[in-house]
Amino acid sequence: MNPLTLNHYLLASGLLFSLGFAGVMLRRNIITIFMCLELMLNAANLSLVAFSRFHVGADGLPNYNAQVLVFFIITVAAAEVAVGLAIIVALYRARQTTHVEDIQSLKF
Amino acid sequence: MFPPITLEILVLALGFILLLAESFSQSTSKRSLAKSAVFCLAWIFALSFFVTSAPANPEPGSFWNFYSADPVSMVFKRIALLTTMAVLVMALEYEKVLAKNIPSAREGAGTGEFFILPLFTCSGLMLLASAVDLVMAFAALELVTISFYVMVAYMRGSHASLEAGVKYLILGALSTGFFVYGITWIFGLTGETHFTKIALKLASLQGSDTAILFALVLVLVGLGFKVAAVPFQSWVPDVYQGAPTPVTAFLSVGSKAAGFLLLLRVLEPFLGVASIAHKILLVLSVLAGATLIFGNLAALPQNNLKRLLAYSSVGHAGYLLMAVACVGVAPSALGSVGATVGFYLFAYLLMTLLSFLVLTIATQHTKGEEIQHFNGLSKRSPFLAFALLVAMSSLAGVPLTAGFYGKFLVFAQAVNASQWTLIALGTVTVGAGFYFYLRVVAAMYWAEPADASPIQVSGLSKMIIVLLVAGIFVFGVNPKPVLSAFQTQQTPLASAH
Repeated sequence: MNPLTLNHYLLASGLLFSLGFAGVMLRRNIITIFMCLELMLNAANLSLVAFSRFHVGADGLPNYNAQVLVFFIITVAAAEVAVGLAIIVALYRARQTTHVEDIQSLKF
Repeated sequence: MFPPITLEILVLALGFILLLAESFSQSTSKRSLAKSAVFCLAWIFALSFFVTSAPANPEPGSFWNFYSADPVSMVFKRIALLTTMAVLVMALEYEKVLAKNIPSAREGAGTGEFFILPLFTCSGLMLLASAVDLVMAFAALELVTISFYVMVAYMRGSHASLEAGVKYLILGALSTGFFVYGITWIFGLTGETHFTKIALKLASLQGSDTAILFALVLVLVGLGFKVAAVPFQSWVPDVYQGAPTPVTAFLSVGSKAAGFLLLLRVLEPFLGVASIAHKILLVLSVLAGATLIFGNLAALPQNNLKRLLAYSSVGHAGYLLMAVACVGVAPSALGSVGATVGFYLFAYLLMTLLSFLVLTIATQHTKGEEIQHFNGLSKRSPFLAFALLVAMSSLAGVPLTAGFYGKFLVFAQAVNASQWTLIALGTVTVGAGFYFYLRVVAAMYWAEPADASPIQVSGLSKMIIVLLVAGIFVFGVNPKPVLSAFQTQQTPLASAH
């Protein structure tokens, strides 16, 4: 018998998601914030794969729709990182900083 | 006759061909890129009237399970094409500012992609209009968002643009995170990704209201960022102010239209669950009320015109949410709300594009975006001043303009749904709107210009401005054509019930 149930996976993915969100809210370095955002996307991936594994259809196979969605999320995340890091590098070149406190020229 | 997907493929192919042409051509002028893009988009727009319609009962596993081409989504596609053309014309006007803010060895080098990226956003918007599956909707939404990241941060030499780019990147990615996690839970609950099948499964689920609400709230947070609803609006003023003006215009129209389209699509299956429908409507009403108040009141003290338009964009999201919050619990009620939202988005598009086009042209001569820089614009260019007057009156909701009729439809929906609190809030905020929109008009007509040299407008821009002004009046007096285009048929989801 399988000791790991769907709930374990969901708990792990929920923890990952909360950690990522907390990081986005609390950390002050843009690179770290960006890593935390990736963590949130991966939390979704983990729970999708778990849902896929535990949604067994009539033919005894897992529901593969979710796994296809995971591939889309991975691809989109990669594109986001490529564009995002380029923007952060451009910002660093112009301002010599990646700290959010230093990036406040646009204000009320 | 072509299958409808040809349109998206053509737009994407056009984007790739122009990228190649940009890399290998010897000429330094990038204007021809934008002009050929506008020309080709006009042809694609014409082709959109010759597409075949979708089969009524798609076979399982076929492409039609992800993609629908009902009349309403065709209308959205055409609107996306027209918007992109207007944005490209605006980008042509903006070329000098752009070249100044991009550090490069040669004059104008590195500006080419700025005229090509809107094409990718356009194809994303068109795909999103047709998406009937969460996977498709997610991929299309990200195509729109990621090309916006690049465009917002495009002016590498401008601190404001880079800062806006980073802020949009972080908050956009955050909203994607929430949206994806919400999709995950929707899939977990139903085992489906197609909207119609989700609706069927959700209606038969018993006793998992909390999980359904959790999934929906995650998705709402994600979409709230896209449509700039309070409390997820914090990025809007900074990004609107810092981004290049044509991108701001595209962002305010494209991001909002995409968000509301997806919001209606996603809400529909959930409203079919009788036990939680009233809770969803309560959440939507609270969001609408908060957005109305914040957007319109925070715009009052603004002196920067782009920032003012940013808060106005939040305010208009409030009116749109007010219409969405009036969705009845019965699925058939979505039809009329969909038409209201569609018309409001269309009117918003006309007046926003018009104000940003005038802003793009005028700021190059006024050397600033503060309201005081627009002092006496009527003496420098009566044409531009009149266009901005029309745009501001329509945004405020003066009768006989498209903006007025949009607001009228929203309030009519609210009266039908007996949303009295929202109506009261809406009335107060419309009054506040008159003050801050007409302040711009007063500066243009009653203040003396600091520098009275006349402003010239190029032929292409003049044509677009005339068309937009005409559109605001024509659809304000006779809104029938647009309304019936959105009403011809219910969304494919509703007809499947």
